[in-house]
Amino acid sequence: MYKYILRRVLVFIPMLLIVTVVVFTLASLAPGDPLTGQTLDPNIDPEVLEERREAMGLNDPPHIQYWNWLTEVSQGNLGDSLHYSGRTVEELIISRVPNTIYLAVFSLFITISVGLPIGIYSARKQYTVVDYTATTFGFFGLSMPNFFFALIAIYFFSFQLGWFPPRGTVSSTSLTGFESFIDRLHHLILPGITLGLSSTAIYMRYIRSEVLDVMGSDYIRTARAKGLTERSVLYKHTLRNSLIPIITLMGFEFGTLLSGAVIVESVFSFPGMGQLFLVGIENQDFPLIMGINLIVGVTILAGNLLADILYAVVDPRIRYD
Amino acid sequence: MRQKSIWYLLIAMLTFGLILAACGGDPEEFEEEEGGDMDDDPIEEDDDAADDDEDADNGEDGEGADEGDDNGEAGEPQDGGNVNVAMYSAPDHQFNPIYYQSSYDNNILEFMFERLYGQDEDLEFYNILAEDYELNDDQTELTVTVRDDVEWHDGEPFTAADVEFTYTAIADPDYLGVRQSYADDLLGYEEFNSGETDEFEGVEATDEHEVVFRWEEPTVTPEYETGFPIIPEHIFGEMGVDEIEDAPESSEAGQIVGTGPFQLTEYVEGDQYVLEANENYWQGEPHLDTVTWQVVDQAVMTGLLQSGDIHGVFEPDGIVPADLEDVEELGNVNLYQPQDLGYQYMGFKLAHRPSQDVEDGVHDTDNYEPNEKLQDVELRQAIAYALDREGMVEGLLHGSGQVLHAPFPEASWAYDEDAPVRYEQDLDQARELLEEAGYEDVTGDGYVEDPDGEELVLNLEYPTGNEARERAALVIDENLEEVGINVNVAQPREFSAHADRVEYDEPEMDMYLMGWSLASGDPDPANYFESHAPYNYTRWVDEESDQLISDATSAPDAFEMEYREEVYADWAEHVSTELPMVFLWSMVNNFAYTDDFGGVTENPVNMYNDTHEWYIAE
Repeated sequence: MYKYILRRVLVFIPMLLIVTVVVFTLASLAPGDPLTGQTLDPNIDPEVLEERREAMGLNDPPHIQYWNWLTEVSQGNLGDSLHYSGRTVEELIISRVPNTIYLAVFSLFITISVGLPIGIYSARKQYTVVDYTATTFGFFGLSMPNFFFALIAIYFFSFQLGWFPPRGTVSSTSLTGFESFIDRLHHLILPGITLGLSSTAIYMRYIRSEVLDVMGSDYIRTARAKGLTERSVLYKHTLRNSLIPIITLMGFEFGTLLSGAVIVESVFSFPGMGQLFLVGIENQDFPLIMGINLIVGVTILAGNLLADILYAVVDPRIRYD
Repeated sequence: MRQKSIWYLLIAMLTFGLILAACGGDPEEFEEEEGGDMDDDPIEEDDDAADDDEDADNGEDGEGADEGDDNGEAGEPQDGGNVNVAMYSAPDHQFNPIYYQSSYDNNILEFMFERLYGQDEDLEFYNILAEDYELNDDQTELTVTVRDDVEWHDGEPFTAADVEFTYTAIADPDYLGVRQSYADDLLGYEEFNSGETDEFEGVEATDEHEVVFRWEEPTVTPEYETGFPIIPEHIFGEMGVDEIEDAPESSEAGQIVGTGPFQLTEYVEGDQYVLEANENYWQGEPHLDTVTWQVVDQAVMTGLLQSGDIHGVFEPDGIVPADLEDVEELGNVNLYQPQDLGYQYMGFKLAHRPSQDVEDGVHDTDNYEPNEKLQDVELRQAIAYALDREGMVEGLLHGSGQVLHAPFPEASWAYDEDAPVRYEQDLDQARELLEEAGYEDVTGDGYVEDPDGEELVLNLEYPTGNEARERAALVIDENLEEVGINVNVAQPREFSAHADRVEYDEPEMDMYLMGWSLASGDPDPANYFESHAPYNYTRWVDEESDQLISDATSAPDAFEMEYREEVYADWAEHVSTELPMVFLWSMVNNFAYTDDFGGVTENPVNMYNDTHEWYIAE
């Protein structure tokens, strides 16, 4: 097992390198640079911009720029942002990580706590009103665009009912302790639900079909024949065997945890990694783009590894020796 | 056993996340504010909207209300409270005037830093930190007496040395920013900037409250050039100029020191920024306790104004044209709609630089390679006549704009209604001009050929990012087709890609869409119209234009405002006749603020003047 993990981790390194090369190539192929946007103001002398380019190393050939970046990274330094003057990439990423994690974890919580029970229930009561309702809800959740749902949620729950704040992460900077925690949670609810909506629907559909599948298998019939209670059949035998695809999904989800959610973040003014990444791309801030990519890459690989390990935990037939 | 462990794992993961969330709360203890308005119950203030029906005419008083102050809605100024103002993007957190680049950073800076001069609603200069000034006869030396009753936020006195320090920093060889244009005409800039001398002759504090600016050449815009926000020497003086960019005093709440009426005390990055009143402000303690900037998505702006969560939205955003009608119907909102100084245009690439010059970054008019397709002025005029610019403003901008005839918008003193040739849409006139110049449809394909009988196809390129401009490209195509001009509209490019092609004179480009955002200081168009200027993207080479532009700023005639007005009128006429570009429109800004938000000074170039007079009615 440990050998397996070690092997996987070692494979990460060349994979990450390839990812960074691809991202860097794409970024350097794109025309323009972080300073192009400033050519809108005729009071800025083009020579000054040229000097800035030189100073930032933007005039170096791409492979040199990549090498410089790689050397910095190997020393544990993600470099200075080109767009955010005077700030480092680490600093920027760290400032966005907490929000991103709150949002991702909260929406994952909603996904699991709503998606799984409904899915299981509707599998057990297949072709009943409950099942049909859940299925309808599932299609609704899948087909509803995030942006649209966000606006509707803000309209009803904030503007009409006044239950939740329409924007932001805190209502005041002066709250502390438990109050601050509740306040943050309060601000998380609408964006969290919006973000979790479609994956809730996906999880629900998956677990439903998986449970149905497993319930029809021989070992469940055997279990029932042994006279086990329905409860025990469901929780001990069916559920555990139905979890494999969910673990795969969660592996991916965990991986994209840090990459943020651009649309939800901007509609709710909930600053996270998604927005930061977008700013990086819009302004061709390649150290920022590369830095975020690197970190997201690591979490995706780690998420997949975690999922693989969990397979072995859930299903004894899977072994990594 | 096994199935239990997986659930434990799941639960552990979730709780871990929540604990993280809890710990991440506010790291700093901060005393409760009585600001009251920052509560999270958005519905509470909703009744404002209802009882203001009689004020439904607010939409109209926009342009007329020049005095701005006291629109009467909010009654007498009151002390205390908080105002929430909105911006659509987060600042970059470079809160130092000499280094900031984003206009969202400027939103914060305007409350904290002050200049020697400000501009009023007619764009006339008035004293802020300056008490008095004297210009010598040949306009090369300006002696400014600065106020002696001003203190920095940390209690240190503001002096003339701070002014000298600010300008010296901008001129410094180590300076990494882009604001050189304020200092580079001053005497001895080259020597100082290249490191030849340590003394910058251009600015000198002659005593504690007197500073002298000296120019190389006579200047016609002394107040503009000396009107840069002043930064404190006692904070930054010890640092290298290149270190100022990264210094915590340039970005951290509570550490930024200015002279303005408010101070940034708290922020949640990308979410909200709290500015607290400066009790010792020299113009008197501000009415408000706090001003809170909130980052807001455009899509919910109208709702937030209605619910009273947001009290105002000003520069650089305002209400987007598409939401204007909804906001007008709210009833609890004042609109102020000044014309923006920037504008959108369609440029004709009259010449291209040879690729060698592009590579070397050279702008030598002798090397320009004229674009044969566009040399006939009649063709360019015909194009102008063919365009339905009124229609673009109405249809694409929802009326939030104004057709422009010369690069001086109405707000500018150089604006002269009668000077430029106005090209109202007139298809017959366009066809006639084409015919006179020899453009006829020889092949019978519905499109005109050039006077030599060659096929004429004009390539139009445009960028994404500005919806009205994107759609204008298609209107232009259609308009020109009506008079038989064949336009090949390229797929829109992402802005920076487009900007590169314009700047580097892409050989196949004939026409392009672009915009200028212009500073308010002075209408001098030299930077982007002089033949050899890099920003003269049309590569229009015209001696008469160059002459007029230089006359307008040449001593001694240009010391007289009236003379400059005349020259600019002549120039506007010349440009609009020669038409190196068709001016499309200038936007109208839709600034909005709620009825209970008073003391706002309506000003077309800066809504953040005299913020110490802002107040909120309970």
